Amino acid sequence: MTPFSMTPSPLRGLALATALALAAAAPAAAETKPGKKFTVAYIAPSLDISYWQWVAYGAKTKAKELGIDYIELDSHNSPVDQMTNVRTALTRGVDAIVMGPVSSASTPPVLRLLKDKNIPVAFTGIGPQPGETDYTSTVTANNYEAGREEGKFVCGLAKERGGNKVGMLSLPQDRENAQKYLKGAKEAFAAEGCDLVQVLQTKGLTVREAVDQTNDLLTRNPDVKAIYGMYDEAATGAAKALQTQGLVGKVGVATADGSPTTVRLLREGVIQGLFLQEAGGQGIEAVQQVYNALTGAPVTKELPLPEPLVTAKDIDSPEAQAKLKRVYPPSAGQY
Amino acid sequence: MTDTIAGAPVQAPPVRPRRAGAGTRLLRVYRTEIAIAAAIVLIELVVSLWSPQALSFGNLANVAQASAPLILVSLGVFLVIATSGIDLSVGSTFSLTGMVAGLGLSAGLSWPVACLASLGVGIGVGAINGALVTFVGLAPFVVTLVTFAVGASLAFVVTDGHSIAILDPDFWRLNGGTLVPGVVNYVLFCIAGVALLEFALRKLVLGRWVYAIGSNAKAARLLGIPVDAVRFGVYVASGLFASFSSLMSLSYISNSEATSGANLMLQAIAACVIGGASLFGGTGSAIGAMLGAVMITVIQNGVNLIGINSFWQGSVTGLVILVAVLIDRFTKARA
Repeated sequence: MTPFSMTPSPLRGLALATALALAAAAPAAAETKPGKKFTVAYIAPSLDISYWQWVAYGAKTKAKELGIDYIELDSHNSPVDQMTNVRTALTRGVDAIVMGPVSSASTPPVLRLLKDKNIPVAFTGIGPQPGETDYTSTVTANNYEAGREEGKFVCGLAKERGGNKVGMLSLPQDRENAQKYLKGAKEAFAAEGCDLVQVLQTKGLTVREAVDQTNDLLTRNPDVKAIYGMYDEAATGAAKALQTQGLVGKVGVATADGSPTTVRLLREGVIQGLFLQEAGGQGIEAVQQVYNALTGAPVTKELPLPEPLVTAKDIDSPEAQAKLKRVYPPSAGQY
Repeated sequence: MTDTIAGAPVQAPPVRPRRAGAGTRLLRVYRTEIAIAAAIVLIELVVSLWSPQALSFGNLANVAQASAPLILVSLGVFLVIATSGIDLSVGSTFSLTGMVAGLGLSAGLSWPVACLASLGVGIGVGAINGALVTFVGLAPFVVTLVTFAVGASLAFVVTDGHSIAILDPDFWRLNGGTLVPGVVNYVLFCIAGVALLEFALRKLVLGRWVYAIGSNAKAARLLGIPVDAVRFGVYVASGLFASFSSLMSLSYISNSEATSGANLMLQAIAACVIGGASLFGGTGSAIGAMLGAVMITVIQNGVNLIGINSFWQGSVTGLVILVAVLIDRFTKARA
């Protein structure tokens, strides 16, 4: 025996006690008791982004409605944290997982682990790696179609203002959803005769960054007549830059997503179009799909939710209002 | 050598070393700052080869507006760095201040009251940092890392992660108004901040204490300099600058976000280093920190105007920091 092992240490005692307690607790937590309530874990890629908070809200609301216990874990945009979260969820004895993966490429090891444990998993927002099939459902926005529709709309805004040049404030193009938006938009611009003169990608997804980028975009391309926003903060930032430069109405703006801020800007006529992405709706549908899998009901493997356009004219219609309620929670602000 | 006047020997006046003129002295004292200013002009000229609008009044105003928050944060960080400390908490102080101000404004507080209350965030965080570093003796890196993490977390907690649109129509005056006719406030506050700090550092005893502590804290203490009080004070000042900067930014953007200060900490440290400050303390100037902040903004602006993928901004800024440090090292070695 080494001197180290012979030496009594309060710290070592504490560590031993903790390890024993954890060892005793883990099997108990993982044990499945007959007749117990289902538990679903929502593993978010990064809960500091409003969009994922709203997905969480939808998932939590639906879980409550279905009588399912709900837990929430944050991967902080790290595949390592994501894998740790999956293991933590399994240790806590969850019956199903709803996940917004940090990237499509990060999903294969997660799916291998969950297949071994026979746990249903539904993806929200970002789908699994192409070629993967061992999942229950993927609930995403139809980014390609939305990209096309928004491109067509933005091109129309530019033409209404006497030009055909458009700029874009983009999500990082290493994301699958951003690539789909851009592909759809580019096709629409080509078909409608518009010229996409500059694409600026965000790094921080903040309004401040979008304001600076819009200023730079318009400085470099003073003949731009419309701006395509790929995320909500882009439109808020673009609107602020246009207000500061006295260009409201002279440069059109449309964006994907939707929030209380962009809804207000739409009503005020500072931006012209919102392509609503059902963040809350994705959480709702994903929980429904894993619940179906747990109860033996039919599931839908691919569930792309549409992103309908709303303008100032129809924002107060019952359809648009119903849709908005599937975008963000009441606590976020007014509809 | 002697001369005679009416037979009496006259001693020639002793040859005095010629006093350097004010211009020469300024050149000597602000050699680094002049080099940075020249580099900024050079960058703008190079960018203008691709994008002639780079030198337009509109673009220069955009750069000034975009750099204002970073300038103010950098001034506070510089004070801490000059005492051989570090403040990693400024970004989260910035975010938390914005969220608290947003909360106050949305609760119906008048904007001056909300602003004054929010400045308490910076003072509070700075006082905690200062007290733990000075009176408890913890390492500044550890202390401010902790307050950074706590502040970033609280920025989400106070509004449950939701961003807040600022609708008070008068609040924009803080940033965009003109306390002095013809000078917009964000420019005024930056110039006033730099001028006051530079004056204090160069002309007041307090300023010499800051450099003395940064150069050798033990020697400073033996000389009777109140090291603890000064150290405590610079952390409070740093928090205050971060909070004030946040309010200026909020007044401009009209939208408070929990992640608004996420990138500021590294940028502010970079601005100080570019501006000639040493992380070992005792050197640099407020003017240098300001120019460093302007240079970072000019690079971001230039990358966008030229049309380079904005993901390269970090690489370009990193290279500039490296070049600045190398030039500083070589000039000091030759001096």
